[in-house]
Amino acid sequence: MTLATSDTGEAHARRQAWIDRAERFGLLIAWAAVIIVFGLLRPDTFLSWANLSTILGSQAVLVVVTLGLIIPLTAGDYDLSIASVLTLSAMLVAVLNVWVGLPIVAAILLALLAGIAVGVINGFFVIYFRIHSLIVTLGMGTFIHGLTLWFSDTQTISGVSIGLVRAVIITRVLGIPLAFYYALILALVIWYVFSYTAIGQRLLFVGRGREVARLSGINVDRMRWGCLVVSAFLGAVAGVIYAGTIGAADPNSGLTYLLPAFAAAFLGATSIQPGRFNPIGSVIAVYFLVTGITGLSILGVSTFVQDLFYGGALIVAVTLSQIVRGREERLN
Amino acid sequence: MKRMLLNAAMSAAFVLAAAAAHAESDVAAKAAAALEPYKKLPEFQAAGEPFDAKACMEGKSIISIPASSAIPFLKTINDSMTKIAEQVGFKFHVWENQGQVSQWVQGIDYAVANKFDLIDLLAGSDPRFLEPQVKAARDAGLTVVAAHLTGFEQAIPGGASAVVPIDYKTAGALLADWAIAKTDGKVNALVLVSNEALSTDSMVSGIKEAFANCPDCKYNIVNIPIPEWATKIQPNVQSALLADPTINYVIPIYDSMAQFVVPAITITGKTDSVKITTFNGTPFAIGMIQDGQIEMDVGENLDWIAHGILDAEMRMLCGLPEVKDPKIPLYIFDASNAATAGTPPEANTGYGDDYIEGYRKLWMLQ
Repeated sequence: MTLATSDTGEAHARRQAWIDRAERFGLLIAWAAVIIVFGLLRPDTFLSWANLSTILGSQAVLVVVTLGLIIPLTAGDYDLSIASVLTLSAMLVAVLNVWVGLPIVAAILLALLAGIAVGVINGFFVIYFRIHSLIVTLGMGTFIHGLTLWFSDTQTISGVSIGLVRAVIITRVLGIPLAFYYALILALVIWYVFSYTAIGQRLLFVGRGREVARLSGINVDRMRWGCLVVSAFLGAVAGVIYAGTIGAADPNSGLTYLLPAFAAAFLGATSIQPGRFNPIGSVIAVYFLVTGITGLSILGVSTFVQDLFYGGALIVAVTLSQIVRGREERLN
Repeated sequence: MKRMLLNAAMSAAFVLAAAAAHAESDVAAKAAAALEPYKKLPEFQAAGEPFDAKACMEGKSIISIPASSAIPFLKTINDSMTKIAEQVGFKFHVWENQGQVSQWVQGIDYAVANKFDLIDLLAGSDPRFLEPQVKAARDAGLTVVAAHLTGFEQAIPGGASAVVPIDYKTAGALLADWAIAKTDGKVNALVLVSNEALSTDSMVSGIKEAFANCPDCKYNIVNIPIPEWATKIQPNVQSALLADPTINYVIPIYDSMAQFVVPAITITGKTDSVKITTFNGTPFAIGMIQDGQIEMDVGENLDWIAHGILDAEMRMLCGLPEVKDPKIPLYIFDASNAATAGTPPEANTGYGDDYIEGYRKLWMLQ
């Protein structure tokens, strides 16, 4: 009897370990599958180093915005103003550098400061007036967009210093533009903070249960405020990379990054550390989606199919993750 | 006998090769000739007989509803229109909006309630989305004009009273002709379009017609909706360039798309082999010509457009014959003349300013 119970227990543990592994690496496996399928269909083009380096090098802006989003999301807050901060920052770099004639470094620093300022204001309204972050950041995002349209005179500005363009996409290491490495370093830093520091653990507590965190002696307000500031700062960093990528800036196009970034954040939360917003999962999610879209466009498929892939992948991944988790709970 | 046959075969091959080479250079020469008139500084041409604008516009009013006030191109046109209306002396109002259809509806309702005489739906506030409102406005006695939306060959859309068309078809043809002339008839182009804009149909028909005359040219048209320019253009261009390394031209048909094409070409390392030709003449795009990132931009003078549209609309309100061609010229900017637009380039600069005098005389303001 004892032997039988122990056997069942072992089988149960083994099955659970498999489910756990499948969920943890599911997105990574799906990414590999996408690479294999497109690689078989277009081996010469899709599997070339040029294509790989292009995929990796061209999505740094989306990666940084996604990383910016997962920080307040982990603490249970939303930052809907992050894409507006991106646009504000890119436009500030262009206006200050091209129109005002400031050196590019000064323009970048001021753009980053502006991002921090937006985060501080967001946090102020969320913490002191106890307004939901969704509402504050929605309003703030719209306000900042108006501000950006005003100071840029709704113009697109080209001619951003070639120094910035060189530092973002022209200079390459192993054939991949530097922008990719910036995004990767950022992801590793956030991963380290989330996984190995006290502040990362506290952040997780705050996100899981504010009251419990408060009773445990964590300064919840300060943590949430800090997250909103870091998120706005990363939005500004994304704006600088955006200006460096296109060598120009316009007051509207950056806003379109908001929904893809949310999609990547939620998709990323289904892998590596399932159920948690995590930086490595987010990076994999961005590149999984981009790999699929690149493969489809190499095949010459219409752009509407890319939307089907984007939206479909998100729903399927989150649903699968839910199913796995449901089974796991039943097994327990 | 054998030698004779060999000689005959070699001669035939030579003649064929020469004929093919001639055909190629002929195609390129024709394309170059088609470009020539648009390389000269445009001259003012009246779209109709002179008329006393001040007298006939007295007490009349026009409201302009742009596709979005956040689009620099439209804001500049509206600013010019406001100045012109002040000079002529009639009431002119811009319905500022952020590109939402509900805001265009509001603008039309406002125009009807406030008894404007003419509604100018400017460059993208498409009457096809506003048919009930357009009908209500027309029933109330207002004239509804879709300006800078259709090509010469396109029908009046959405039940509007009239259009002020632009020669989009020629603009499209010029983009293709430029590439044909530059490559001696061996273009492999990626054409980026946005099908939801009515002007796209006209431009694409011009591009197709020009390429139809070029037997060794090939092109692929990719549709990217306007709201997705920032996120979709770059990856699509990158993939296309990697999938087909012989692509030598990217033709984004509106120049605000070009800023997302440039990084795609840079990242794929094709700066030397892939060139960009585009349309609109937006200042930042001319700046990109100065920086060597865009090869050619077919420009429209936004102030000239404002004059041309108001000229046509004033004629409608004054009961004068309808303007079929507002005579708004196209002008080619490339590395040789991009500096004339200023550094950094400014809207309306580089086209000469004789037209201002021309319109003042046409409207009998002097």
